[in-house]
Amino acid sequence: MTVSWLQAAILGLFACLSSMPGLGGTSFGNYTLGRPLVGGLVCGLVLGDLQSGILVGVAMQIVYIALVTPGGTVSADVRAVSYIGIPLAMIALKSYGLSPESADGQALATSFGSMVGTVGTVLFYGTATMNLLWQHIGWKAVENGNYKQLYAVDMIYPWISHIIFSFLPTMIMVKMGAPMVDMIKTYLPMDGLAMKTLFTVGSLLPCVGIAILLKQIVTKAIDFIPFFFGFTLAASMGINLVASTVVAAMFAMLIYRLKMLSFKQSAAAEVDVIIDDDEEDI
Amino acid sequence: MQTFGYLVSMFPIIDELYSTKEEKARSMNTYSAFFNTEPQLGSVIVGITAGLEEARANGSDDIDDETINGLRAGLMGPIAGIGDSLVVGTVIPILLGIAMGMSTGGSPLGAIMYIVVWNLFAYFGMKFLFFKGYELGGKAIDFLVGPTGEALRESITTLGGIVIGAVAASWVSVKTAFTMTAAGADKPFLDLQSTIDSVYPGLLTALFIVGCWWLMAKKKMSPIKVMLLLVVVAFVGVFIGFFNPGLQY
Repeated sequence: MTVSWLQAAILGLFACLSSMPGLGGTSFGNYTLGRPLVGGLVCGLVLGDLQSGILVGVAMQIVYIALVTPGGTVSADVRAVSYIGIPLAMIALKSYGLSPESADGQALATSFGSMVGTVGTVLFYGTATMNLLWQHIGWKAVENGNYKQLYAVDMIYPWISHIIFSFLPTMIMVKMGAPMVDMIKTYLPMDGLAMKTLFTVGSLLPCVGIAILLKQIVTKAIDFIPFFFGFTLAASMGINLVASTVVAAMFAMLIYRLKMLSFKQSAAAEVDVIIDDDEEDI
Repeated sequence: MQTFGYLVSMFPIIDELYSTKEEKARSMNTYSAFFNTEPQLGSVIVGITAGLEEARANGSDDIDDETINGLRAGLMGPIAGIGDSLVVGTVIPILLGIAMGMSTGGSPLGAIMYIVVWNLFAYFGMKFLFFKGYELGGKAIDFLVGPTGEALRESITTLGGIVIGAVAASWVSVKTAFTMTAAGADKPFLDLQSTIDSVYPGLLTALFIVGCWWLMAKKKMSPIKVMLLLVVVAFVGVFIGFFNPGLQY
Protein backbone atom coordinates (compact mmCIF):
# COMPACT_ATOMS: atom_id res chain seq x y z
CA MET A 1 0.00 0.00 0.00
CA THR A 2 1.50 3.32 -1.04
CA VAL A 3 0.43 6.68 0.24
CA SER A 4 0.68 9.76 -1.95
CA TRP A 5 1.82 13.13 -0.65
CA LEU A 6 -1.70 14.46 -1.14
CA GLN A 7 -3.24 11.71 1.00
CA ALA A 8 -0.60 12.27 3.67
CA ALA A 9 -1.28 16.01 3.59
CA ILE A 10 -5.03 15.53 4.03
CA LEU A 11 -4.39 13.34 7.07
CA GLY A 12 -2.01 16.03 8.34
CA LEU A 13 -4.82 18.58 8.12
CA PHE A 14 -7.16 16.33 10.11
CA ALA A 15 -4.41 15.92 12.71
CA CYS A 16 -4.36 19.73 13.09
CA LEU A 17 -8.11 19.85 13.58
CA SER A 18 -8.35 17.06 16.09
CA SER A 19 -5.57 17.49 18.61
CA MET A 20 -6.31 18.50 22.15
CA PRO A 21 -5.31 22.16 22.22
CA GLY A 22 -6.98 21.80 18.86
CA LEU A 23 -8.28 23.80 15.98
CA GLY A 24 -11.60 22.12 15.39
CA GLY A 25 -12.76 23.03 18.90
CA THR A 26 -13.15 20.67 21.82
CA SER A 27 -16.46 19.09 20.90
CA PHE A 28 -15.98 18.66 17.17
CA GLY A 29 -12.18 18.56 16.98
CA ASN A 30 -11.04 16.57 19.96
CA TYR A 31 -14.12 14.59 20.88
CA THR A 32 -15.32 13.88 17.33
CA LEU A 33 -12.46 13.91 14.83
CA GLY A 34 -9.94 12.84 17.44
CA ARG A 35 -11.74 9.64 18.39
CA PRO A 36 -10.02 6.68 16.71
CA LEU A 37 -13.39 5.35 15.51
CA VAL A 38 -14.00 8.56 13.54
CA GLY A 39 -10.31 8.69 12.62
CA GLY A 40 -10.73 5.21 11.17
CA LEU A 41 -13.58 6.47 9.00
CA VAL A 42 -11.52 9.43 7.77
CA CYS A 43 -8.35 7.39 7.17
CA GLY A 44 -10.38 4.69 5.45
CA LEU A 45 -11.94 7.24 3.10
CA VAL A 46 -8.66 9.04 2.38
CA LEU A 47 -6.62 5.88 1.82
CA GLY A 48 -9.38 4.21 -0.15
CA ASP A 49 -10.04 1.22 2.10
CA LEU A 50 -13.03 2.11 4.22
CA GLN A 51 -13.54 -1.30 5.78
CA SER A 52 -9.97 -1.69 7.04
CA GLY A 53 -9.99 1.88 8.30
CA ILE A 54 -13.09 1.34 10.39
CA LEU A 55 -11.88 -2.02 11.74
CA VAL A 56 -8.51 -0.60 12.76
CA GLY A 57 -10.29 2.43 14.25
CA VAL A 58 -12.55 0.20 16.34
CA ALA A 59 -9.55 -1.81 17.60
CA MET A 60 -7.77 1.34 18.74
CA GLN A 61 -10.88 3.00 20.08
CA ILE A 62 -11.09 0.43 22.87
CA VAL A 63 -7.67 1.38 24.19
CA TYR A 64 -8.57 5.05 24.13
CA ILE A 65 -12.24 4.80 25.01
CA ALA A 66 -11.78 6.97 28.07
CA LEU A 67 -9.11 9.43 27.15
CA VAL A 68 -9.64 12.03 29.83
CA THR A 69 -7.08 14.79 30.06
CA PRO A 70 -7.43 16.12 33.60
CA GLY A 71 -5.74 19.50 33.87
CA GLY A 72 -3.97 19.08 30.55
CA THR A 73 -1.85 16.03 31.42
CA VAL A 74 -2.03 13.46 28.67
CA SER A 75 -1.18 9.79 28.48
CA ALA A 76 -1.60 9.65 24.73
CA ASP A 77 -2.22 12.07 21.95
CA VAL A 78 -5.37 11.60 19.87
CA ARG A 79 -4.00 13.24 16.73
CA ALA A 80 -1.10 10.79 16.76
CA VAL A 81 -3.29 7.77 17.49
CA SER A 82 -5.94 8.61 14.91
CA TYR A 83 -3.99 10.13 12.05
CA ILE A 84 -0.52 8.58 12.37
CA GLY A 85 -1.27 5.30 14.18
CA ILE A 86 -4.28 4.21 12.12
CA PRO A 87 -2.70 4.80 8.66
CA LEU A 88 0.53 3.07 9.74
CA ALA A 89 -1.43 0.14 11.16
CA MET A 90 -3.41 -0.13 7.91
CA ILE A 91 -0.15 -0.17 5.93
CA ALA A 92 1.32 -2.76 8.28
CA LEU A 93 -1.73 -5.03 8.00
CA LYS A 94 -1.57 -4.86 4.19
CA SER A 95 2.14 -5.56 4.26
CA TYR A 96 1.82 -8.54 6.61
CA GLY A 97 -1.18 -9.80 4.70
CA LEU A 98 -3.36 -9.92 7.81
CA SER A 99 -7.09 -9.36 7.73
CA PRO A 100 -8.07 -6.42 9.95
CA GLU A 101 -11.05 -8.47 11.04
CA SER A 102 -8.97 -11.25 12.58
CA ALA A 103 -7.87 -11.17 16.21
CA ASP A 104 -4.23 -10.99 15.09
CA GLY A 105 -4.98 -8.03 12.88
CA GLN A 106 -6.71 -6.21 15.71
CA ALA A 107 -3.82 -6.93 18.08
CA LEU A 108 -1.27 -5.63 15.59
CA ALA A 109 -3.34 -2.48 15.04
CA THR A 110 -3.66 -1.89 18.78
CA SER A 111 0.07 -2.28 19.42
CA PHE A 112 0.99 0.03 16.57
CA GLY A 113 -1.54 2.64 17.60
CA SER A 114 -0.52 2.66 21.23
CA MET A 115 3.16 2.97 20.45
CA VAL A 116 2.49 5.92 18.17
CA GLY A 117 0.03 7.41 20.66
CA THR A 118 2.51 7.31 23.49
CA VAL A 119 5.28 8.82 21.41
CA GLY A 120 2.73 11.38 20.23
CA THR A 121 2.52 13.00 23.66
CA VAL A 122 5.67 14.82 22.52
CA LEU A 123 3.49 16.54 19.92
CA PHE A 124 0.97 17.52 22.58
CA TYR A 125 3.54 19.18 24.80
CA GLY A 126 5.27 20.69 21.77
CA THR A 127 2.06 22.39 20.63
CA ALA A 128 1.17 23.52 24.13
CA THR A 129 4.63 24.99 24.68
CA MET A 130 4.64 26.87 21.41
CA ASN A 131 1.16 28.23 22.18
CA LEU A 132 2.72 30.06 25.15
CA LEU A 133 4.20 32.43 22.56
CA TRP A 134 0.72 33.41 21.35
CA GLN A 135 -0.40 33.75 24.96
CA HIS A 136 2.37 36.28 25.44
CA ILE A 137 1.04 38.29 22.49
CA GLY A 138 -2.43 37.88 24.00
CA TRP A 139 -1.47 39.38 27.34
CA LYS A 140 0.09 42.35 25.57
CA ALA A 141 -3.17 42.81 23.69
CA VAL A 142 -5.21 42.75 26.92
CA GLU A 143 -2.86 45.29 28.49
CA ASN A 144 -3.16 47.65 25.54
CA GLY A 145 -6.90 47.19 25.31
CA ASN A 146 -6.54 45.81 21.82
CA TYR A 147 -9.24 43.19 22.26
CA LYS A 148 -9.90 42.50 18.58
CA GLN A 149 -6.45 40.93 18.47
CA LEU A 150 -7.59 38.27 20.91
CA TYR A 151 -9.47 36.58 18.06
CA ALA A 152 -6.15 36.13 16.27
CA VAL A 153 -4.53 34.81 19.44
CA ASP A 154 -7.36 32.36 19.97
CA MET A 155 -8.03 31.25 16.42
CA ILE A 156 -5.26 32.16 13.97
CA TYR A 157 -1.79 32.04 15.57
CA PRO A 158 -2.23 28.48 16.93
CA TRP A 159 -2.32 27.29 13.32
CA ILE A 160 1.42 28.00 13.22
CA SER A 161 2.03 25.69 16.19
CA HIS A 162 -0.12 23.08 14.53
CA ILE A 163 1.59 23.21 11.17
CA ILE A 164 4.86 22.49 12.97
CA PHE A 165 3.64 19.95 15.52
CA SER A 166 0.66 18.31 13.81
CA PHE A 167 0.71 18.77 10.06
CA LEU A 168 4.38 18.10 9.29
CA PRO A 169 4.95 15.12 11.63
CA THR A 170 1.75 13.43 10.44
CA MET A 171 2.42 13.99 6.76
CA ILE A 172 6.02 12.79 6.94
CA MET A 173 5.38 9.76 9.14
CA VAL A 174 2.43 8.57 7.05
CA LYS A 175 4.34 9.07 3.80
CA MET A 176 7.46 7.32 5.12
CA GLY A 177 5.40 4.63 6.84
CA ALA A 178 5.37 2.02 4.08
CA PRO A 179 9.16 1.59 3.72
CA MET A 180 9.51 1.65 7.51
CA VAL A 181 6.96 -1.12 7.96
CA ASP A 182 8.76 -3.18 5.31
CA MET A 183 12.00 -2.74 7.19
CA ILE A 184 10.44 -3.89 10.45
CA LYS A 185 9.04 -6.89 8.64
CA THR A 186 12.45 -8.01 7.40
CA TYR A 187 14.11 -7.63 10.78
CA LEU A 188 11.35 -9.03 12.97
CA PRO A 189 9.95 -12.32 11.73
CA MET A 190 6.32 -13.13 12.61
CA ASP A 191 7.07 -16.22 14.68
CA GLY A 192 9.85 -14.55 16.68
CA LEU A 193 9.62 -13.55 20.32
CA ALA A 194 9.46 -9.81 19.55
CA MET A 195 6.45 -10.11 17.25
CA LYS A 196 4.62 -12.47 19.59
CA THR A 197 5.17 -10.03 22.43
CA LEU A 198 3.95 -7.16 20.28
CA PHE A 199 0.74 -9.01 19.45
CA THR A 200 0.17 -10.04 23.06
CA VAL A 201 0.65 -6.45 24.19
CA GLY A 202 -1.99 -5.50 21.64
CA SER A 203 -4.52 -7.78 23.25
CA LEU A 204 -3.62 -6.61 26.78
CA LEU A 205 -3.64 -2.84 26.15
CA PRO A 206 -7.42 -2.43 25.89
CA CYS A 207 -7.55 -3.50 29.57
CA VAL A 208 -5.85 -0.20 30.42
CA GLY A 209 -8.47 1.75 28.50
CA ILE A 210 -11.33 0.06 30.33
CA ALA A 211 -9.48 0.43 33.65
CA ILE A 212 -9.13 4.20 33.11
CA LEU A 213 -12.90 4.36 32.73
CA LEU A 214 -13.44 2.28 35.83
CA LYS A 215 -11.19 4.63 37.76
CA GLN A 216 -13.79 7.32 37.11
CA ILE A 217 -16.73 5.36 38.48
CA VAL A 218 -15.33 2.79 40.90
CA THR A 219 -14.17 4.06 44.27
CA LYS A 220 -15.03 1.11 46.47
CA ALA A 221 -15.28 -2.60 45.74
CA ILE A 222 -19.09 -2.58 45.61
CA ASP A 223 -19.03 -0.19 42.66
CA PHE A 224 -17.66 -3.06 40.59
CA ILE A 225 -21.05 -4.78 40.63
CA PRO A 226 -22.59 -2.80 37.73
CA PHE A 227 -19.43 -3.45 35.73
CA PHE A 228 -19.57 -7.19 36.32
CA PHE A 229 -23.30 -7.16 35.68
CA GLY A 230 -22.64 -5.71 32.23
CA PHE A 231 -19.70 -8.06 31.71
CA THR A 232 -21.91 -11.03 32.52
CA LEU A 233 -24.67 -9.80 30.20
CA ALA A 234 -22.28 -9.76 27.27
CA ALA A 235 -19.80 -12.56 28.08
CA SER A 236 -22.06 -15.20 29.64
CA MET A 237 -25.45 -14.35 28.21
CA GLY A 238 -24.28 -13.19 24.81
CA ILE A 239 -26.41 -10.04 24.73
CA ASN A 240 -25.09 -7.43 22.30
CA LEU A 241 -24.09 -3.89 23.18
CA VAL A 242 -27.21 -2.01 22.18
CA ALA A 243 -29.40 -4.50 24.05
CA SER A 244 -27.11 -4.28 27.10
CA THR A 245 -27.51 -0.51 27.02
CA VAL A 246 -31.30 -0.89 27.13
CA VAL A 247 -31.07 -3.21 30.14
CA ALA A 248 -28.67 -0.75 31.77
CA ALA A 249 -31.06 2.14 31.08
CA MET A 250 -33.82 0.30 32.93
CA PHE A 251 -31.62 0.02 36.01
CA ALA A 252 -30.55 3.63 35.68
CA MET A 253 -34.21 4.68 35.69
CA LEU A 254 -34.93 2.64 38.82
CA ILE A 255 -31.98 4.18 40.63
CA TYR A 256 -33.05 7.68 39.65
CA ARG A 257 -36.58 7.11 40.94
CA LEU A 258 -35.34 5.53 44.19
CA LYS A 259 -32.85 8.28 44.79
CA MET A 260 -35.45 11.02 44.20
CA LEU A 261 -37.86 9.24 46.52
CA SER A 262 -35.30 9.06 49.31
CA PHE A 263 -34.54 12.77 48.86
CA LYS A 264 -38.23 13.60 49.10
CA GLN A 265 -38.58 11.51 52.24
CA SER A 266 -35.57 13.04 53.94
CA ALA A 267 -36.84 16.49 53.00
CA ALA A 268 -40.22 15.67 54.52
CA ALA A 269 -38.59 14.28 57.64
CA GLU A 270 -36.61 17.43 58.09
CA VAL A 271 -39.76 19.51 58.23
CA ASP A 272 -41.20 17.38 61.05
CA VAL A 273 -38.21 17.10 63.27
CA ILE A 274 -35.56 19.63 62.50
CA ILE A 275 -32.57 17.44 61.88
CA ASP A 276 -29.86 18.54 59.56
CA ASP A 277 -26.14 18.40 59.12
CA ASP A 278 -26.20 14.75 58.31
CA GLU A 279 -26.76 15.40 54.66
CA GLU A 280 -24.02 14.15 52.48
CA ASP A 281 -21.53 16.73 51.39
CA ILE A 282 -20.88 16.85 47.70
CA MET B 1 -5.17 27.46 29.76
CA GLN B 2 -8.68 28.36 28.73
CA THR B 3 -8.29 31.98 29.73
CA PHE B 4 -8.09 33.27 26.16
CA GLY B 5 -11.04 31.22 25.05
CA TYR B 6 -12.95 32.77 27.92
CA LEU B 7 -11.87 36.28 26.97
CA VAL B 8 -12.96 35.73 23.38
CA SER B 9 -16.34 34.42 24.58
CA MET B 10 -16.90 37.42 26.83
CA PHE B 11 -15.63 40.12 24.46
CA PRO B 12 -18.78 40.45 22.30
CA ILE B 13 -20.92 40.64 25.43
CA ILE B 14 -18.71 43.23 27.10
CA ASP B 15 -18.39 45.19 23.86
CA GLU B 16 -22.20 45.38 23.70
CA LEU B 17 -22.77 46.23 27.36
CA TYR B 18 -20.30 49.07 27.85
CA SER B 19 -19.54 52.13 25.81
CA THR B 20 -16.36 53.59 27.29
CA LYS B 21 -12.94 52.10 26.83
CA GLU B 22 -12.21 52.19 30.59
CA GLU B 23 -15.28 50.16 31.47
CA LYS B 24 -14.49 47.61 28.78
CA ALA B 25 -10.92 47.33 30.01
CA ARG B 26 -12.06 46.86 33.59
CA SER B 27 -14.46 44.10 32.65
CA MET B 28 -12.07 42.32 30.32
CA ASN B 29 -9.44 42.34 33.06
CA THR B 30 -11.90 40.56 35.33
CA TYR B 31 -11.86 37.59 32.99
CA SER B 32 -8.10 37.47 32.53
CA ALA B 33 -7.74 35.39 35.70
CA PHE B 34 -6.63 31.77 35.24
CA PHE B 35 -9.42 29.51 34.06
CA ASN B 36 -9.53 25.82 33.23
CA THR B 37 -12.42 23.37 33.37
CA GLU B 38 -14.22 20.69 31.39
CA PRO B 39 -15.12 22.72 28.29
CA GLN B 40 -18.50 21.18 27.51
CA LEU B 41 -20.10 21.42 30.92
CA GLY B 42 -18.11 24.58 31.57
CA SER B 43 -20.39 26.54 29.24
CA VAL B 44 -22.70 26.92 32.24
CA ILE B 45 -20.04 29.05 33.94
CA VAL B 46 -19.73 31.33 30.92
CA GLY B 47 -23.52 31.68 30.99
CA ILE B 48 -23.52 32.62 34.65
CA THR B 49 -20.83 35.26 34.24
CA ALA B 50 -22.63 36.66 31.18
CA GLY B 51 -25.66 37.15 33.43
CA LEU B 52 -23.57 38.71 36.20
CA GLU B 53 -21.81 41.03 33.78
CA GLU B 54 -25.15 42.22 32.49
CA ALA B 55 -26.33 42.88 36.04
CA ARG B 56 -23.12 44.80 36.73
CA ALA B 57 -23.60 46.89 33.60
CA ASN B 58 -27.13 47.67 34.74
CA GLY B 59 -25.77 49.12 37.94
CA SER B 60 -25.77 46.37 40.58
CA ASP B 61 -23.16 47.57 43.04
CA ASP B 62 -22.75 44.29 44.84
CA ILE B 63 -21.21 42.58 41.82
CA ASP B 64 -17.51 43.27 41.59
CA ASP B 65 -14.42 41.50 40.28
CA GLU B 66 -14.20 39.44 43.42
CA THR B 67 -17.76 38.14 43.16
CA ILE B 68 -17.24 37.07 39.58
CA ASN B 69 -13.79 35.58 39.99
CA GLY B 70 -14.67 33.92 43.29
CA LEU B 71 -17.54 32.24 41.52
CA ARG B 72 -15.42 31.24 38.54
CA ALA B 73 -12.62 29.86 40.69
CA GLY B 74 -15.10 28.07 42.93
CA LEU B 75 -16.97 26.47 40.06
CA MET B 76 -14.25 25.42 37.66
CA GLY B 77 -13.01 22.63 39.95
CA PRO B 78 -16.33 20.88 40.65
CA ILE B 79 -17.56 21.38 37.07
CA ALA B 80 -14.32 19.88 35.74
CA GLY B 81 -14.76 16.91 38.07
CA ILE B 82 -18.39 16.29 37.13
CA GLY B 83 -17.71 16.96 33.44
CA ASP B 84 -14.72 14.64 33.20
CA SER B 85 -16.50 11.76 34.87
CA LEU B 86 -19.95 12.35 33.37
CA VAL B 87 -19.36 13.65 29.84
CA VAL B 88 -15.94 12.30 28.94
CA GLY B 89 -15.94 9.32 31.26
CA THR B 90 -19.51 8.11 30.76
CA VAL B 91 -21.56 9.67 27.95
CA ILE B 92 -18.82 9.49 25.31
CA PRO B 93 -17.80 5.89 26.14
CA ILE B 94 -21.45 4.78 26.06
CA LEU B 95 -21.93 6.38 22.65
CA LEU B 96 -18.65 4.95 21.42
CA GLY B 97 -19.54 1.51 22.79
CA ILE B 98 -22.80 1.48 20.85
CA ALA B 99 -21.08 2.92 17.77
CA MET B 100 -18.40 0.22 17.86
CA GLY B 101 -21.14 -2.39 18.06
CA MET B 102 -22.69 -0.91 14.92
CA SER B 103 -19.34 -0.84 13.14
CA THR B 104 -18.62 -4.55 13.60
CA GLY B 105 -17.32 -5.93 10.34
CA GLY B 106 -16.11 -2.56 9.15
CA SER B 107 -19.40 -0.77 8.53
CA PRO B 108 -19.09 3.04 8.63
CA LEU B 109 -22.57 3.27 10.18
CA GLY B 110 -21.34 3.34 13.79
CA ALA B 111 -18.79 6.08 13.17
CA ILE B 112 -21.38 8.21 11.37
CA MET B 113 -23.91 7.62 14.14
CA TYR B 114 -21.35 8.76 16.72
CA ILE B 115 -20.51 11.94 14.77
CA VAL B 116 -24.18 12.91 14.43
CA VAL B 117 -25.45 11.96 17.89
CA TRP B 118 -22.49 13.29 19.86
CA ASN B 119 -22.41 16.63 18.07
CA LEU B 120 -26.14 17.21 18.41
CA PHE B 121 -25.83 16.30 22.08
CA ALA B 122 -22.84 18.59 22.59
CA TYR B 123 -24.32 21.51 20.63
CA PHE B 124 -27.73 21.51 22.23
CA GLY B 125 -26.39 20.51 25.62
CA MET B 126 -23.90 23.37 25.70
CA LYS B 127 -26.44 25.86 24.42
CA PHE B 128 -28.92 24.71 27.07
CA LEU B 129 -26.31 24.97 29.85
CA PHE B 130 -25.16 28.41 28.72
CA PHE B 131 -28.67 29.84 28.75
CA LYS B 132 -29.58 28.06 31.99
CA GLY B 133 -26.52 29.67 33.53
CA TYR B 134 -27.46 33.05 32.13
CA GLU B 135 -31.09 32.88 33.31
CA LEU B 136 -30.65 31.26 36.68
CA GLY B 137 -27.20 32.48 37.70
CA GLY B 138 -25.91 30.57 40.70
CA LYS B 139 -29.12 28.56 40.88
CA ALA B 140 -28.13 26.72 37.70
CA ILE B 141 -25.42 25.03 39.69
CA ASP B 142 -27.97 23.67 42.16
CA PHE B 143 -29.38 21.64 39.33
CA LEU B 144 -25.99 20.07 38.75
CA VAL B 145 -24.88 19.54 42.33
CA GLY B 146 -28.24 19.46 44.13
CA PRO B 147 -30.46 16.42 44.78
CA THR B 148 -31.78 16.08 41.21
CA GLY B 149 -28.26 16.33 39.87
CA GLU B 150 -26.98 13.78 42.35
CA ALA B 151 -29.72 11.30 41.52
CA LEU B 152 -29.12 11.84 37.82
CA ARG B 153 -25.38 11.42 38.22
CA GLU B 154 -25.74 8.26 40.20
CA SER B 155 -28.10 6.68 37.69
CA ILE B 156 -25.92 7.68 34.73
CA THR B 157 -22.84 6.30 36.50
CA THR B 158 -24.59 2.97 36.99
CA LEU B 159 -25.67 2.96 33.37
CA GLY B 160 -22.07 3.71 32.42
CA GLY B 161 -20.75 0.93 34.63
CA ILE B 162 -23.02 -1.67 33.06
CA VAL B 163 -22.29 -0.54 29.49
CA ILE B 164 -18.55 -0.47 30.15
CA GLY B 165 -18.80 -4.01 31.45
CA ALA B 166 -20.56 -5.06 28.26
CA VAL B 167 -17.99 -3.19 26.14
CA ALA B 168 -15.16 -4.93 27.98
CA ALA B 169 -16.70 -8.36 27.49
CA SER B 170 -17.45 -7.74 23.81
CA TRP B 171 -14.24 -6.06 22.72
CA VAL B 172 -11.43 -7.05 25.05
CA SER B 173 -10.13 -10.56 24.96
CA VAL B 174 -7.19 -11.80 26.97
CA LYS B 175 -6.56 -15.46 26.28
CA THR B 176 -3.94 -17.86 27.52
CA ALA B 177 -2.43 -20.55 25.34
CA PHE B 178 -1.28 -22.60 28.32
CA THR B 179 -1.97 -26.31 28.00
CA MET B 180 -0.61 -29.47 29.57
CA THR B 181 -0.43 -32.63 27.58
CA ALA B 182 0.35 -36.02 29.05
CA ALA B 183 3.15 -37.92 27.33
CA GLY B 184 1.78 -39.76 24.31
CA ALA B 185 -1.72 -38.26 24.43
CA ASP B 186 -3.13 -36.35 21.40
CA LYS B 187 -5.25 -33.98 23.42
CA PRO B 188 -4.10 -31.87 26.35
CA PHE B 189 -5.58 -32.87 29.70
CA LEU B 190 -5.47 -29.27 30.85
CA ASP B 191 -6.58 -26.45 28.59
CA LEU B 192 -6.28 -23.49 30.94
CA GLN B 193 -8.37 -21.11 28.82
CA SER B 194 -11.45 -23.36 28.71
CA THR B 195 -11.01 -24.22 32.40
CA ILE B 196 -11.03 -20.53 33.28
CA ASP B 197 -14.01 -19.87 31.02
CA SER B 198 -15.99 -22.65 32.66
CA VAL B 199 -15.58 -20.88 36.00
CA TYR B 200 -16.74 -17.53 34.65
CA PRO B 201 -16.66 -16.65 30.96
CA GLY B 202 -14.04 -14.03 30.30
CA LEU B 203 -12.55 -14.28 33.79
CA LEU B 204 -8.98 -13.75 32.61
CA THR B 205 -9.98 -10.57 30.76
CA ALA B 206 -11.84 -9.31 33.82
CA LEU B 207 -8.86 -10.07 36.08
CA PHE B 208 -6.51 -8.11 33.86
CA ILE B 209 -8.88 -5.15 33.82
CA VAL B 210 -9.33 -5.16 37.59
CA GLY B 211 -5.56 -5.51 37.93
CA CYS B 212 -4.96 -2.43 35.78
CA TRP B 213 -7.62 -0.55 37.75
CA TRP B 214 -5.93 -1.52 41.01
CA LEU B 215 -2.53 -0.35 39.81
CA MET B 216 -3.89 3.01 38.68
CA ALA B 217 -6.49 3.71 41.35
CA LYS B 218 -4.85 2.18 44.41
CA LYS B 219 -1.15 2.25 43.52
CA LYS B 220 -1.44 5.62 41.73
CA MET B 221 0.47 4.41 38.71
CA SER B 222 0.18 6.47 35.53
CA PRO B 223 -1.47 4.83 32.49
CA ILE B 224 1.84 4.91 30.62
CA LYS B 225 3.60 3.00 33.40
CA VAL B 226 0.81 0.43 33.43
CA MET B 227 1.16 0.04 29.66
CA LEU B 228 4.90 -0.47 29.99
CA LEU B 229 4.30 -3.02 32.74
CA LEU B 230 1.95 -4.87 30.37
CA VAL B 231 4.74 -5.00 27.78
CA VAL B 232 6.91 -6.76 30.39
CA VAL B 233 4.04 -9.08 31.34
CA ALA B 234 3.46 -9.90 27.67
CA PHE B 235 7.15 -10.61 27.08
CA VAL B 236 7.45 -12.91 30.10
CA GLY B 237 4.11 -14.51 29.26
CA VAL B 238 5.16 -15.27 25.69
CA PHE B 239 8.53 -16.53 26.92
CA ILE B 240 7.06 -19.09 29.32
CA GLY B 241 4.29 -20.03 26.91
CA PHE B 242 1.39 -18.50 28.82
CA PHE B 243 0.56 -16.27 25.87
CA ASN B 244 0.89 -17.35 22.28
CA PRO B 245 -0.92 -15.40 19.62
CA GLY B 246 -0.36 -18.31 17.23
CA LEU B 247 1.12 -16.30 14.41
CA GLN B 248 2.14 -17.69 11.11
CA TYR B 249 2.64 -16.48 7.59
